[in-house]
Order: sequence, then C-alpha cells, then structure tokens
Amino acid sequence: MDRKKILICDDDEGITDMLELVLEETGHEIITETNSLNIKSILKEDLPDLILLDLWMPVLSGDQVLKTLRADENTKQLPVIVISASRDGKEIALDAGATDFVAKPFDIDELLHKIEKYLNYNFLKIENKNP
Amino acid sequence: MKSPNNHGFSLSKETLRQDFELLTKALNSSTSGIIITDNTQPDNPIIFCNAAFEKISGYTRSEIIGHNCRFLQQQDRAQPARAVIAEAVKEGKECTIEIRNYHKNGNLFWNELYMSPVTDENGAITHFIGIQNDITARKKIELDLQDQKDSMERKIAERTSELRDSEAFLTSIIQTVREGLLVLDRNFKVISANDHFLRTFKVSAQETIGKMLYDLGNGQWNIERLKELLIRILPTNNPVIDFEVAHDFPHIGKKLMLLNAYRIELEGQYKDQILLAIEDITERREIERRKDDFLSIASHELKTPLTTIKGFVQALERMKPANASEKYSQTLQKVALYVDRLNSLITDLLDVSRIQSGNIELHNELFDFDKMVREAVENLQASTGSHQIKIKGTAGTEVLGDEGHIIQVINNLISNAIKYAPNSSEVLVYVSKVSDYVKVSVTDYGLGISAEDQQSVFERFFRGGDIQKRFPGMGIGLYICEQIVKNHDGTIWVESEKGKGSTFSFTLPISREVNNG
Repeated sequence: MDRKKILICDDDEGITDMLELVLEETGHEIITETNSLNIKSILKEDLPDLILLDLWMPVLSGDQVLKTLRADENTKQLPVIVISASRDGKEIALDAGATDFVAKPFDIDELLHKIEKYLNYNFLKIENKNP
Repeated sequence: MKSPNNHGFSLSKETLRQDFELLTKALNSSTSGIIITDNTQPDNPIIFCNAAFEKISGYTRSEIIGHNCRFLQQQDRAQPARAVIAEAVKEGKECTIEIRNYHKNGNLFWNELYMSPVTDENGAITHFIGIQNDITARKKIELDLQDQKDSMERKIAERTSELRDSEAFLTSIIQTVREGLLVLDRNFKVISANDHFLRTFKVSAQETIGKMLYDLGNGQWNIERLKELLIRILPTNNPVIDFEVAHDFPHIGKKLMLLNAYRIELEGQYKDQILLAIEDITERREIERRKDDFLSIASHELKTPLTTIKGFVQALERMKPANASEKYSQTLQKVALYVDRLNSLITDLLDVSRIQSGNIELHNELFDFDKMVREAVENLQASTGSHQIKIKGTAGTEVLGDEGHIIQVINNLISNAIKYAPNSSEVLVYVSKVSDYVKVSVTDYGLGISAEDQQSVFERFFRGGDIQKRFPGMGIGLYICEQIVKNHDGTIWVESEKGKGSTFSFTLPISREVNNG
C-alpha cells in the first residue's frame, strides 16, 4: 500500500491525539493541527492526500476552511472528510463542499473504510488527470 | 245718555234685576269658585262668593263674607304664592298663581287662582275678582310625576355611578394586563389603546386614539400580514388565535408578536368593534433560542470528549493482545456499551429540547422501509447477545419520511424491548402494510406495563413506578418516539399485560402531504 499523507484538523487535542493513535495502524503519515488558521501554510508546504476536518472551530470554522479549499484550483479535488458532533453538521459540510461526513462519536471501522475509499478515489482522479 | 234711574225706564229696572239674578245664577252654576273682594274697605274683605267656592273651601257663605282671603291658607302663610298675590294687589295687576289652600276640614287642596282688579272711572281699584279652580288632582299627578322623575334621576345617577365604577374597574384590569390591547371600530380606527400598548410601542395616547390603525406611527402598523388578518380572516366570524407576526418597527426594532383578534358580534353600540390583543414574544422567543443554542453547544461539547473516549476504547480493542482474558474483553465491551449509552442520552436530551421548542426539522425522502427495518435490526443485533431479534412480515413499499428519525423510533422500541425483558430471549418485530399505512409492532415477553401506566408511558420524563429502581433511564425515549411518529402524521400505541410482555406499534402513512414547517 502506498504511504499517503493525512492531515487531521480539530481544535480539540483529545480528538487529534486519539485519531493519530488510531490512524497509525494504517501506516500513512499523519499530521495533526489544532489551529485551523495554520492550515493554509501547511497546504503550501506539502499537500496532504486527505484531510479530516472538524466543523466547529474557533476563529476559522471548518466550513470556511472548506470553502477556501474548494476555491483553490490545487485543492479543489482534495478529499475532505468532515467529522462533527453537530447535528446539522452533515448539511453544512456537504453544502460547503465536503467529500463526505462522519458524525461524532464515530465507529473507527467506518472511518477507516471511508479514508481508504477516498485515498484510492483521489489516486485514480490524479492518474486520470495526468495521463 | 240714558240713566238706569231714569223714571222712563222702569221696565229697564226690572230687566236689570232679572239680569242680576241671571248673572248670580250663572255665577253659581260655574264649577270654578268665584269671589269678589272690596278694595275700598279695610283689609279687602270678601263681599261675594259663589256656590262653587263654598264647595271648594268647605265653608258656608256666612263664614266667608267679610273675611280676607288669607283665611284659606290657614297657618301655611309662608308660601311664596302669597307674596305674588300681595304684590299684585299692591300694584293693582292681575295674576295667576297656584297656591296651597286648606279646606274647612283641614285638608290641603291646590288652588289655581286667577285674580284681576276692577277699577272705577277714575282708575281707582274698587274690587278684586278671584276665580279659583281646585287643581289638587292635577297637582297630585304633577307631583307624582315629579317624584317619579326625581326617583328615576336618582336611579340613573346610581346606575351611572355603578357603571362608572364598573368601567373604572374594567379599565384598571385592561391597563394592568401585560399585553397590548387595541379596540378598533369597523374601519380600523383606534377607539382605545391600553397603557401596555403605548409603552411597548413607545407612543402616546394622543397620537394613537382616533387614528387609523394603518396610519399609526408613520404607518408602522401597515403590515401586510396584519391587514390580511383583519380584512380577510376576521370577517369570517372566526376569532384569530395566536397569529404570529414579525415586523421591524422603525424606532423600536424587530418585534415578534402574537396577535389575537376578536370581532364583537353583539348587537348595539359595540357591534363590529374589533379587539386586538398584541403579545410581544420577542424576548420569550429569544430566550427559547438561547436555550436551544445552549443545549446545542452543551451537547456538542459533551460529545467531543466522548468521541475521544470512544475512539481510544476502540483502539484498545484493536490492540487487544491475542492472549487477553475473557474478563479483559468483557470489560472493554462494557466500557464501549456505556459510552454509547451516554451518547444516546446526550442525543435524547437535545431531541427533547428541540421537540419542545418545535424545532424538529424533517428531512423527508423516499426510502425502502423493509431495508431500513432490516438494517436497524442488524445494527442492534450486533450489539446484543442476550436477545434474538426476529423480523416477520414486510411492508413491500417505499415510504416518504425522515429515515433517520424512523430508525430512532425503531431503535428505541427494540432497545426498550430488550431492556425490560431481561429474562426472555426473543424480541419480535412485525412489519406490515395496512391500507395506505405501514405498520411496525415490536413485541417483547418481559415485564409488561400496568393498565394505569400504559396511559402515561409516552409522557415526557415518565417512569413506571416499579421499574424506577431496577432500570436506569430518563423517561424520554417513548416521548421522543411519539413526537417523531406524530410529526410523520402517524400514531403510536401500546398493548401490554403485566407479567406477560408488551407490544408497541406504530403506523406511518406511506405518502402524505409533506409539511416541512
């Protein structure tokens, strides 16, 4: 399996800690970030293959992050799975351009399944784009 | 000039005597009392009275002649009428006056006296002629009338004062009420406005009363929805109840109002007047919104660490050493189970809050009903080892509704069936299509519910008396189920026998008028 890079952005350190631990087993590279304002600079350095993004974050909310991502040609197609405990989260996330949504608290199998699905999906997309 | 003393007119003398007799008879046959007084003698004595006068006064001629008229007033000398007569005598003028006289037997009678002076050729007053009519009967009627009039006026005054009191009382109630109150005439002109209205909308009585409703405060009441209410809805004789209107007032800002209007049907001066009660619910709604926000935030904040715990527990399960003991595995499973329970409690709390504030949003879509039931049961079966959940029957149709909510109902009913039947091993889920409804029945063979408690199981925070101690819970699961089913225009009910088990059933219309409000 190709080693991919996954960015986890959640203002709650418990969540990033836990996800880092859980996602270690996938063998992918995990980057965590609790301040959504830093996302832009991270993306400039090295584009991840997938982002797990929280919705309710101070200053810059997940849906705002998504909108900027989708407005940028480089990140337009980047798979972003929104994870949120907010009840209206799914609607807000999909409206803002999320690839998928997982409600907190989630089942790890379900999350891992989705992560693999979109990592492969993205891979195919990129291949099609650059024949 | 012929003189009556002239000898040549002896016949005339005879004629005079005859005339005199005739006149005397005429006077005596009059029903009016007639007297003549001699003004040339001291104290103006009566020198003539007719028979009617004797009758009216009760005195005989001999008792009358030679007296001054005043004897008729006996002791009642102070009456103002006497002064009028005295004045007329002094001035030598005629007068008409009503005077209280007294019959010889002492009885009062009202006398209407016409008195006129007789003058000689030099203009000196020689006599007074008095014509008297007994007007006691007329006077009595007049006095009775006056009495009645007085008593009527007194009663009117009393009633008026009572009405004024009663009006003041009602006004004080109206002014105390914490609700804006307007009375409009049929053309929507303001007849009255209470203090609360004036205070709430920061206006004075002067600029409100007598003005057209829609012209008030630079047309700030010229609200389309309100117009519609008053013009179209009200004349159908239906009162308007709790009509919600939001309006941005130029000076006081946005207000959310609950309008109640009532048209007076009574015949009479109030007919077709309109009572318009305006309740300002801006603040209340704001508080409700804040409560919802609070619960929403609280629930979100509680779920975040819960997600972390759940994630770590799952990680532990995956890291479980191959040689881990059964006890170790069970402990981990139990932690996972209680984390899920805590999660559903938090979700329920938020649901109750949303239901209470009417904030449940239905996301209606067509979904495969049988598939939904199957998946819900599979999920539950995966987390319970104690009971076998069996599905019987099919609906064989798609249903329009909020699938997530319906799953919640099925989850709640099956979870309850498992929870309250700890000594049995089976839960039966029966699915069917009944006319244009789908029906789900969940049957357990557990404790059952007493007839008394069956009435209340769907009430919020209800907990059956005997299960209170043995089974944890908040008493909101079935309440939420009922609200969800109701929101889908369905019904939910229970049949149960104590000690034998319970069947909870609900029906949902397959297709319905979708109302997302």
